[in-house]
Amino acid sequence: MLLEVKNLNAGYGFLQILRDVSLNVDKGEYVCLVGPNGAGKSTTLKTIAGLVKPMSGDILFKGEPIGGLPGNQVARKGISFVSEEMNLFVNMTVNENLAMGAYTIKDKQQQKDRLAFVYDLFPRLVERRNQLAGTMSGGERKMLAIGRGLMSDPTLLLVDEPSFGLAPLLTENVFQSLDTLVKQGMTIMLVEQNVTKTLAVTDRGYVLENGRIELEGRSDDLACDAHVRKVFLGV
Amino acid sequence: MVEQAEKHLWARLLAWCRSLAGATVIGTIVIALIVTVDRGGYVLVNTIVTGGMTALVAMGLALTLGVLNIPMFAHGEYFMIGSLTAYYVFTPIKTYMETHPESILALWGPLVTIIAAMLVGAVAGVVSEVLVFRQLRQRSRENWVMNSFLLTVGLSVLMINAHQLFFGADFKGITGYFSGMPINIMDVYISKDRAIAFLLAAVVVTGFWLFMTYTRTGRAIRAVSQDETGALIVGIGLNGIMMLTMALSCALAAIAGASLLFMYPAYPSVGLEPLYMAWFVVILSGLGNVLGAVMGAFMVALLKVMTVEYIGSGWDFVVPSALIIVILIFRPSGIFGSEVRGVLDK
Ligand SMILES: Nc1ncnc2c1ncn2[C@@H]1O[C@H](COP(=O)(O)OP(=O)(O)OP(=O)(O)O)[C@@H](O)[C@H]1O
Ligand SMILES: [Mg+2]
Repeated sequence: MLLEVKNLNAGYGFLQILRDVSLNVDKGEYVCLVGPNGAGKSTTLKTIAGLVKPMSGDILFKGEPIGGLPGNQVARKGISFVSEEMNLFVNMTVNENLAMGAYTIKDKQQQKDRLAFVYDLFPRLVERRNQLAGTMSGGERKMLAIGRGLMSDPTLLLVDEPSFGLAPLLTENVFQSLDTLVKQGMTIMLVEQNVTKTLAVTDRGYVLENGRIELEGRSDDLACDAHVRKVFLGV
Repeated sequence: MVEQAEKHLWARLLAWCRSLAGATVIGTIVIALIVTVDRGGYVLVNTIVTGGMTALVAMGLALTLGVLNIPMFAHGEYFMIGSLTAYYVFTPIKTYMETHPESILALWGPLVTIIAAMLVGAVAGVVSEVLVFRQLRQRSRENWVMNSFLLTVGLSVLMINAHQLFFGADFKGITGYFSGMPINIMDVYISKDRAIAFLLAAVVVTGFWLFMTYTRTGRAIRAVSQDETGALIVGIGLNGIMMLTMALSCALAAIAGASLLFMYPAYPSVGLEPLYMAWFVVILSGLGNVLGAVMGAFMVALLKVMTVEYIGSGWDFVVPSALIIVILIFRPSGIFGSEVRGVLDK
């Protein structure tokens, strides 16, 4: 198992959000986490990424406990988190943002290779490379956020709502890029609002409601599940 | 191709001149020249020396605001630590020089003194970060701006009183780092101390700018100031960066304190004036805007020098404060906008 989360409880201050969340991701898998607004999906990803401290429970990455480590150390272990808010460096150019993404990579040649890889995946970023991140459109920023996440050559990519606020065509673009990455062997854990689409492209999924995992299974099974259809698709 | 690039550059330059920032900078230069013609070259020299040193203090203040998010009220005390260190390092050097006038210390003594002050300032910064601010940060980040501000006020009072207790409240000063005739440039006499102080400020500001723009660590500092979570995500350790930032900004203040020892002798509250000046600058140029602080420093210096020149030396804080109030009413984000947006409302 690449990532194992066992009986995780987490929240903000005294407010507990996640209750006994257990999930796992194998190498090369494309896994999704879906659920209604406020269910705790972002909180789950943030806790794995080291931005929220767990109250109890274990997080193992490559068999090694990472629960409670600060975010920068989790990043160094090979987990890249692309947050909902993107957290770009708004007063740096696209190029500088990507360079910051490779902060943990010392080797100059490897940095160049990663940059070429990201520009290859998102050709649009090439045109914009000297533009300040803060002045880019929502879609371009999403691409930049994912691109920056890939610069560190991560083993596991956690992506939070990549399609949020994007026009359908751009959403399609972003989904395609993620697909390409998975085909190249990347492991991805995806959180998305667009449940139909997400269950159609991922291998496996978890359904989170009120901070608990209610259902899990193969994505095509989940897509046919009566409960899922009732909650998310209103049928 | 080249012509086009040139045209593009011109267009950008023109646009900048028409922007508020450009207009203010050009306005400042013009006013400085007019005053110089009217009153004599020493006005320009005073402005440049005061401005350069204020820039060092203000840059550090802008940095603590931008990176650590602390409205620093104790920044003047690192200036004080700089001047105090310089006094205690330079006094024995000077006595030694009187008996050994040929020693190389005559030339390098002042530099050794300023470097010693810089190091002590940096250490003081690290100690305050580790013992005070980190403790608060780990306990709670709620109401951070207010709480950390109150802590800095406490720190300021503590350091001023510690100075008084251990070193006494008297003026501990020197007449000058260098003896000998002042330098004469076009009938304006500049003392060697002032010339060196300005050169030092120019070198430090340039070096600092290069560091922030081109080194990996400098970029990491900028990254933290722009988005803390983003910095964590890409693997930047916050504790290290914050410690380094405090070391840098306090070292800058200490360099200023040491270089100006011939003008401001060390005494407990010597840091208050540079602190107020630096705050004027930071408010004028936009909170957390480090480069803007350099420009702003020269504007505030000119304003101060002009006030003393035309109105009287008792007014040198009144006029800048009045201007700050006006600026806060009409441009709350400062003249240059803020490189680090919303530092205080994060
Ligand atoms: N920083 C915070 N402090 C306190 N409570 C928070 C914080 N962030 C989120 N919450 C609360 O935690 C709960 C879960 O939030 P979370 O962002 O994980 O939900 P989500 O499943 O990602 O929702 P959405 O689909 O809207 O993004 C919500 O009730 C939210 O109000
Ligand atoms: Mg969310």
